Order: sequence, then structure tokens, then C-alpha cells
Amino acid sequence: MEFVILLIKIFVVLNIILGLASLCTWIERKGSALIQDRIGANRAGAFFETDILILKPVFWGLRIMGALGLINTLLCDAVKAITKEDFVPEGVSQFMHSLAPFMAVFPVFVAYAVIPIAPEFTLFDYTIRPQVAALDAGVLFILAMGSIAVYGVMIAGWTGNNKFSLLGALRASAQMISYELSMGIAFVTIIIVYGTMDLYQMIQQQGTNVLHWGVVQQPLTFIILFVVGMAETKRGPFDLPESESELVAGYFTEYSGMKFLLFWLGEFAEIALFAILVTALFFGGWHIPYYELSGGTWWEALIGHLVFMAKVVFFCILQIVIRWTLPRFRYDQLMNLGWKMLLPLSLANLLFYAVLKLNGFFT
Amino acid sequence: MDTFAFLVLATVITLSGIGVIAMRNPIHSALCLILNLACVAGIFALLGADFLAAAQIIVYAGAIMVLVLFVLMLLNLKVEKKNLLGYIYLAFGGLVSVVFILMFSYLVRVEPLNQLADNVRGSVAAMGKILYTDAIFPFEAASVLILAAITGAVMLGKRSYKKRTTHIKGQAIDI
Amino acid sequence: MVPVSWYIILSAIMFTLGALGVIVRRNAIVVFMCIELMLNGVNIAFVALSHVAGNINGQVAVFFVMVVAAAEAAIGLAVIITVFRSVQSIETQNVGELKG
Repeated sequence: MEFVILLIKIFVVLNIILGLASLCTWIERKGSALIQDRIGANRAGAFFETDILILKPVFWGLRIMGALGLINTLLCDAVKAITKEDFVPEGVSQFMHSLAPFMAVFPVFVAYAVIPIAPEFTLFDYTIRPQVAALDAGVLFILAMGSIAVYGVMIAGWTGNNKFSLLGALRASAQMISYELSMGIAFVTIIIVYGTMDLYQMIQQQGTNVLHWGVVQQPLTFIILFVVGMAETKRGPFDLPESESELVAGYFTEYSGMKFLLFWLGEFAEIALFAILVTALFFGGWHIPYYELSGGTWWEALIGHLVFMAKVVFFCILQIVIRWTLPRFRYDQLMNLGWKMLLPLSLANLLFYAVLKLNGFFT
Repeated sequence: MDTFAFLVLATVITLSGIGVIAMRNPIHSALCLILNLACVAGIFALLGADFLAAAQIIVYAGAIMVLVLFVLMLLNLKVEKKNLLGYIYLAFGGLVSVVFILMFSYLVRVEPLNQLADNVRGSVAAMGKILYTDAIFPFEAASVLILAAITGAVMLGKRSYKKRTTHIKGQAIDI
Repeated sequence: MVPVSWYIILSAIMFTLGALGVIVRRNAIVVFMCIELMLNGVNIAFVALSHVAGNINGQVAVFFVMVVAAAEAAIGLAVIITVFRSVQSIETQNVGELKG
């Protein structure tokens, strides 16, 4: 029975990843259109007609989805990617070329294993904690997975067998290593303040009182982690590894079809992961401000989950809006921001909260 | 279950270890070593050293090997060629490995090594307690060592720039 | 559960492979990687033997080995890059200018 529960948990978490990633894809397409004053995808499926009476409501729904661009971004793109030719450049090992996209996606998906998605509840005498792996070092695990996410990018750039790809890969790895330091120190600050490494405990400690939420207690850590998160996902103003105006598409220049789509999936899963982390660490997870759910029943867990996901979607949208609003950094500006601003700032922040903790704050 | 996990991990570790020294392309060696180190993290987890398993991934797989791969890609090396000298080294190396294996196979017959490996759990809290009390001096010394290493690496990696002057439209500009 | 001696044998295999690599290979970066292999072999032995000793001092030692390995990576790779700049090669037999 335990095994079945575990399988169901894994299934649910996988669906959350894929759902959030597709939602992000859609927001990216239509949201960027809104920001750039275009209309965006609105044609595919927008003119479906039928004469059969029973099917009319279905086609009515399909027409709305088509007009919103959902059919275009979710269905047509997938069909196009699957049927596209899988191109491998000459003189490159086929195995390495196929390995790279999996190495890019795998750590992100595995990192979801330690994330609690809803409060604990009891169903048919089973107390279920909606978290695939309840490790006591959950934050360390996420940090470890984030640190091996570089390899997909590096192998992709190397198997591209051209200068654009290699430059993109070198830029990406330098950027990710530089920003990982600040991320690690920000995580240490969070661990010091909450006094635990388990994400579930962190969320429970924040409670419904907004004054106890992470963003109120440690606003600077939130800003540092958010900026670092934007840099780690290699998007937004930090998209130098794939800057399309300089490097064609950077490290995945030579990828097409499903492999290219896997890189995209990994990127959006990473955006969603950072949104989830920010929500869990700083915005109280599933807690509603000043309204206590008594907890324990499945429908309250469901409400908690929906509240959690609403906050996550907000941060996904925020990241995409920033990505489409700000212009790209120059490379020296990127390195200066990472090494000369964020790193000393996070160290000072760590020292400040360590002193506060020593003096008995944050019991 | 544990035995099975150990056997799988040990097999992968051995094979990828052979891969590190047998692959002619240095990048393939580096990828083999990454696999190897990830499996060592698995062995640490089997031995109950949770913190070390995470640290192994973060430090070795996540930082050191990325640096190595970075340097390999930066230098763009050619594949190593075979030569006669290599076989002499191989014979010598084979001799050394046989001696090592004989030594260790004599060593593991010691009585206390037959007990099961389930005595201690190196949780993060336990490790931290020792690091900040008994091992506080080596801990601080390690931080000094890291600082010295960073400074040294920066000094070694820095190119010495000569001040050059160029003339654009009659103006002297330093570059 | 697996007896400690199995882990010791595994660590011996890793250490031997690393030593063999240091002797056989001539690419300086691969030699560097083989040293990491030897260090990891020793690390496994440390963690396994901490079960015999019954305390986690062995694991603390492994932590320091990791710290030293990180420092070594930073310095070693910087040295290799400097060597590459001056002789355009990192094959260990090409770096013999101090030989009399």
C-alpha cells in the first residue's frame, strides 16, 4: 500500500511539472504578445465547425481554446516537434548528442522529489504527506541537483561541434558556477533562520501570520535568491548563453525536434521550480494570510494545494514578464553583478542573520 | 536490497573508473569520472553519510568537474596518440596495481572488517556539531587554505597586460 | 547490509585504478582526474571505517579531503592553463625544461 501511495505521489508531481511547464509555454507565447503589443497565436483551431448537434459544445470550447492560442502552443508545437527531422551534426557521437537534453531535464525533475505540494492529510486511515521523498536535507538536495544541471548545457554545446554552441556552453557554465555561490549562501541564510533543512518544516513554521513569512523576515535574501534564480534558469536579462542576436541559439543551436523541445521543457520546469521554491521559502507555501485551515482532511489539503499553485503561477508570470521587459546584460556586467554585488551582499546578509539568530531572534 | 544497490554501484564505479584511464579523448574521461563520482555519492548514502553524499555531488560533480570540463573545452585538446613509451609505462603501472591489490587483499582479512556497515549515521546536524567543536581548528585552517587557493588561482590565471596605445583619428587611446 | 570489507575492496580498486592512470596517462588534466579518483577511493575507505570505529570522525576527515580537493582543483587547473600558454601543450613529457 505504501508503494502504491508513493507511485500516486510521483504521478501527481510529474503532472504538476508538466502542467506548470505547459502553462509557462502558453504564458510565454501569449504574454510576450501582450507585452510587445502583438496578437500572438490565435488561429489554429479557431474556425472549427461541425454539423453534429452533440459535438457542438465541444467544438465551441475548441474554438475558444484556439482563439486563446492554447491549441497552437500545446498541440501543434508538439506535433511539429515530434514529426521534425532529428538532426545530428557530422563528426559527433550520436550517444552524447542524445544524452545532453536528458542531462538538462533530469536534475530539474528529480529536484521536485523533495518539494511538498500540500499540507499533510488523512484519507482512509492513511496519513499522507504529499512529498515524494521526505529527506531531512531537502534544501541540500535541491542545491546538489541544481549544481549538476550544468552538464546538459556543457555536453550540448560540445556536441554542437561549432563555435556558437561552444561559446554558449562556456558562457552558460561560467554564469551558472558564478551564481551558484550566491545561491548557496542565500540557502544557508534561510537554513539558519528557520533552523531546519526540511522544506515542509519551513512552510509550517511560517504559518498564516504574514509577519512570520520569509519575505517579511528576510527581504534581502528573497531579492538575492530571486535574481540568482533568474540567472540560473538562463533567461530574462541573463540569457547570454543563448542570446539569439549573437550566438544563433547558443548551446542548443544544433538541436531540433523533440530534443530541442526537451531543452525547453527543462527550462520551463526550472522556472516553475524556482517559483515553487520562492513560494515555499518566502511566501508561506499553502498558507492563506490570516485564515487558519484546521487541516487534516483531503479537501483542506486540496485548498492548500490550490493556494500554493496560485502563488507559484504568479511567480512564473513575474519571471516571464521580467524576461520580456528587461534588455540583456553585457557579459562583464553579468560577472560584476554576480561576483562584486550579489556575493558580498549575500555574505553580509548571512552575517547579519547569523548575529540576529545568536541573539535569540527567530526562535 | 542494500547488497543489490552496492553491487550495481560498485560495478558502475569500476567500469567508469576503467573508462577514465582508458578513454583517449579527455572529455570522455571527464564524463566517465562524473559518473564515477555520482556513484560514489550513492555509496556514501548507502553508508549512512547523508551530508557527505550531498557534499560529494555539490563539490565534486557540481564544482570541480565543471571546472575540469570548462578547462578541457577552453584548451580544445587533441586526442592522445599511442607511442612505444606508453607500453613501458603500462607494464610498470600493471606491476604497481598488482602489488596494491595484493596488499589490500591481505589487509581486508582483518577480523573487525567483517562487521556490517550500519553503525553510524552522519546526519547534517551531527557533522556540524563535530566541525564546530572538536574540529574547529582544521575547519578554520581549511577556510584559510581555500582563500589562499582562490588568490593563487587568480594570480596564476591573470594575463599580464601591457599598456598599448592606438591612434584613432589622431587621438591617442589606451587599450 | 554489506560488510565493511566489501567497501574496502571497492576503495582499493578505485585507488589502484587512479594510481595506474597517474602512471600511464600523459595528459596533465587526465592525470589530475586520476588523482581525484585516488582521493575518492580513500574517501570511501574513511567512511566505511568510521563504522568500525563507531563514530563519525572518519566522515569529518572526508569533509576536509573534499575541501583540499576543491583548493587543489582551483590551483592545479590554473597551473595547467599557465603551462598551456607557455608551451602550447599539456602533455606531461613536453614540460621538461628544468631537466638538466
